[in-house]
Amino acid sequence: MKTFLFIFIVISSGAAAGIIHGSANLVFVEPSLDQAIGIENQHLFASGEEKDTPEFRAQYDDYRIWQKSGQVFAGGILGISMGSLFGIVFVLSRNSLPGKTDIKKALVLAGVMWLTIYFIPFLKYPANPPTVGDPETVVLRGILYLTFIALSGFGAVGFYKLSQKLKTKKFIAFIGYAAFIGIIFVVMPGNPDKINTPMDLVDHFRTMSAFTVSLYWLSLGIIFGSLWNYYKPHREIPPSFN
Amino acid sequence: MSQSRQINVSKNGVPVIAIVALAILFAAGLFVVGFDQGHIFSLVYGEDAFQDMYIHELTHDMRHAAGFPCH
Repeated sequence: MKTFLFIFIVISSGAAAGIIHGSANLVFVEPSLDQAIGIENQHLFASGEEKDTPEFRAQYDDYRIWQKSGQVFAGGILGISMGSLFGIVFVLSRNSLPGKTDIKKALVLAGVMWLTIYFIPFLKYPANPPTVGDPETVVLRGILYLTFIALSGFGAVGFYKLSQKLKTKKFIAFIGYAAFIGIIFVVMPGNPDKINTPMDLVDHFRTMSAFTVSLYWLSLGIIFGSLWNYYKPHREIPPSFN
Repeated sequence: MSQSRQINVSKNGVPVIAIVALAILFAAGLFVVGFDQGHIFSLVYGEDAFQDMYIHELTHDMRHAAGFPCH
């Protein structure tokens, strides 16, 4: 294994997919965020906490520019972070992933990770725009979300290990994971915050959020798989010497 | 072959140091984007960092868009 090449592939593919994610958010998610923060401002004016003055607007515009400028930057960081996890799982499971090429293997793994550590947790704890979340419950919501992701992710690994032992009845492991995550889904408490924001805004935000996160996982699978296919870091001897 | 060649190489031939480095990157990146409320800058700026929350505000939009809990 060529260690530095492996790490280079992980970081560059994670960063590239993350930048795609952040850029897509600027187009698809930002309009909902602006709308939601506009509602948040109206609440501030109504409660008397803030006044709708030119000074407030100028300060607000600066604040939003700072936040929006972070989309692509944060996308890169999150992309590298999730890409690192993806790289670890890929390199440890590559030999048993289905697919003849590394692009196919990477896409299969991206699909599995998208499902188990993003989409199923999203169904239980869907993304919310600003104004929905209560600052008092943010720690509890963070713990619930991370716990669900960890249980789903480790559950998937556990049942995958089980499937390797069940040579002829691998479907039992799939059923086992489905039952396991079904129980977790029902048993774990839901998001404690009540939604007072218009549901059409919330639903549109969630749809766009799910779309761009899914775009990240698809991009990661394609870019990571392509780089791996090209550089072949698992080979000890360069192909030209064979 | 790889088992007997080096102590710090796993049975898959994957260097353990690479796995550890990537695990640290994963945890650090996840914390920065998903959960920091001023914690990282508080190491330098003290309690004020929890009021300013520069990293929180910089990652705010991605935090919502990626599904992390926020206000």
